[in-house]
Formats: sequence, C-alpha cells, structure tokens
Amino acid sequence: MAIANESKRESREMHHEAHSGPAKYVIIWVVLMVLTVVTVLTGRMHLPNFGLALALLIATVKGTLVALYFMHLAEHQGANRLIIGVSVLFVVLLMTMALTDSATRFPLQNAQGSRLSDMPVTEDFLKAQFPEGNQQNEKAGSSTHPKEEQEPAQGH
Amino acid sequence: MQSSAPVVSVPEGTQAPKFAAHFATLDVQNHAARLGMWLFLSTEILLFAGLFVCYGFYRFNFPEAFAEGSRHLDLFLGTVNTIVLITSSFTAAMAVHYAKASKNKMVTLMIALTLLMALGFLVIKGFEYHHKFEQGTLPGKYYHFAGIQVPGITLYFTVYFLSTGLHAFHVIIGMGILAWVMSRSMKNHFNYANFTAVELGSMYWHLVDLVWIFLFPMLYLI
Repeated sequence: MAIANESKRESREMHHEAHSGPAKYVIIWVVLMVLTVVTVLTGRMHLPNFGLALALLIATVKGTLVALYFMHLAEHQGANRLIIGVSVLFVVLLMTMALTDSATRFPLQNAQGSRLSDMPVTEDFLKAQFPEGNQQNEKAGSSTHPKEEQEPAQGH
Repeated sequence: MQSSAPVVSVPEGTQAPKFAAHFATLDVQNHAARLGMWLFLSTEILLFAGLFVCYGFYRFNFPEAFAEGSRHLDLFLGTVNTIVLITSSFTAAMAVHYAKASKNKMVTLMIALTLLMALGFLVIKGFEYHHKFEQGTLPGKYYHFAGIQVPGITLYFTVYFLSTGLHAFHVIIGMGILAWVMSRSMKNHFNYANFTAVELGSMYWHLVDLVWIFLFPMLYLI
C-alpha cells in the first residue's frame, strides 16, 4: 500500500530527527533574527522602487525557513507538500488577478462611491481635508462633481 | 488490518498513543492527523490572503497614504514584537523536539516560555492600539487624526486594524491550544510514540508566526 509506505517513511524521518539534537532549530532561529534585523535596516532606508519587493522577498525567505524546519515540512512527504504548494498557488492567483484588474483600470472606470472622497466621512475630517472649500477637489483625487462632495451620505 | 490498539511500549508514567480502529497502523493515523492539520492551515493562509489582497489593492490606489501611514507606526515596538514572536516559535519547535525525546518537563518549560512571549506580544500590541485610540488613527469613518490628512489614509488604518486584529485573535486561540498541550505535558503524557498533540499545537503557533512575518514588512516597513 503506497499510503502506508509513505506514512512509514515520514514517521521514520520524524523520529530520526529526534536524535539529531536541537542545533538545527538554534541555527534557524539565529538566521531568522539576522534576517529580521536586515529587513528593518533596509526598510528604514525607504528605498524608492524596490523597497516593498525586497521586504517581501526577505519575508518569503523567513516564511519558507519556518515552514520547512520549524513546521518540519522538509521531512514531510508528498501529500503535505502538495497541500501547502496548492495553497500558495491559490494565494498567488488571487493576488495577481485582483491586482492586475486594479492596475489596468482607467481611473474614471472606478464605480461611483469607490473613491475615498465618495465615502461618508466625519465633518471634522471633511473640513481638514478641504480647508478652502471645493477648489481642493483635484488634490483629493476625486473625479466627482464638487456638489457631491458636500453631500457625502448621498447614495448610501 | 488491526481493530485493537497495537502494543506500543512507552516510557513509564507516560501515555500510550490513542489508536482509532479505522486506521491500518499508528503511522497511518499520525500521517492523517498531520495531513488534516496542513489542510486546516492552508485554509488559514487563504483567510489572511484575502486581507493581503485588500492591502495590495488599496496600496496600489493610495501609495502615498500607505507610505505615510506605515511611517506613523512605532517601528521599535513592531520590531520587538517580531523578535518576540519568532523566538516563541523557536521555543514551540523545541517543545516538539523534547516531546519526541520523552522529556515532559522540558516540554512544559518550552511551552511556558512560548506562552509568556505570546502574552508579551499581546501587551505590546495593546500599547500600540491604545496609542492609536488616543490619537484617533482609527479605521474608516472613525478616523479623526489631524496629523496625517492624505486621501486613503483611513483605508490604511482599516487594513491595519483588520489584519493585526485577526492576527491577535489567532494569538489568543494559539495560547489556548498551547495551554491545553502544557496541561498534558505537566501530567507527563508525551513520549516518542505519542507527541501528535504537541506537534500540531506548535504547527498552529508557527502559522501565527508565519502570518506576522508577512504583516510586519507590509504594515511597518514600506
């Protein structure tokens, strides 16, 4: 039986690990600490174009280390790896589809009410945002008519 | 196929693993337990992925607001929390290691350390939340902070509170699970043949750590 053999192998590998000592976990912990310091330092530089990409790359390396060694994925067999692989694939699909949609829209195609300036906001916030009245609408990124700005609750 | 529990010799005073009759062997049962946990954790990953998509979507539309908002967070407290959570993940992994070696006292100690750091994480998070409640950097229409008035800033704090709030909720649940595992290790239950509860409990804790590893750069470091 394939499944029995697979679980037997997994079980053997899990137990074998018990005799190898805690050194592996200490090493992973130190690497995670170093990567945390690195990502804080690069984050404080406020790199213009690739700052977030670099931070997410470091986070991915850290996350992979946690999954492989702390969660023992490195010793696990087919089915466990398949589940986590498919899960990551679905996350990537979800993100790329949603963000591609967002990135390829014309600004005017945003539905009425989808902009911040269309949202119901408090009186104070509105005053603070538009101290000189309706002339500031361009700054607020609004494509709606100024009159609608004054009636934020409209249509809700 | 067996229908009765297999004879497993375990160290004295510890518990033999419970064995369900519908599994062929103990190995198959352990494999199934682990597989089930991975399935559950993958649904958790997708739950948080929804919030990550929200983040990406709004960040694309309001990049200046998100840069302003992230600079407004307390980077020092965020970094301390990251270090605390990664270290607690390390002690949770060590608990599994000692459970496999049938050292229940060390399992108890490691989980106690994990719980202590989890509590520390929540206390630090509480200070951060308190500061935001006082200032008025709240989600959606409750935002009333005069310091940052960039369009989209309310969306940044909505994403901030939703994602860190959901994460803190997971921290609390994880603490409950680990406390239950610790109560069993105090009763000297675990050994090389019976450590599934420690392993799966610590897997949940690693997921909490995993999510924070991504939340930290997204919210604090851009």
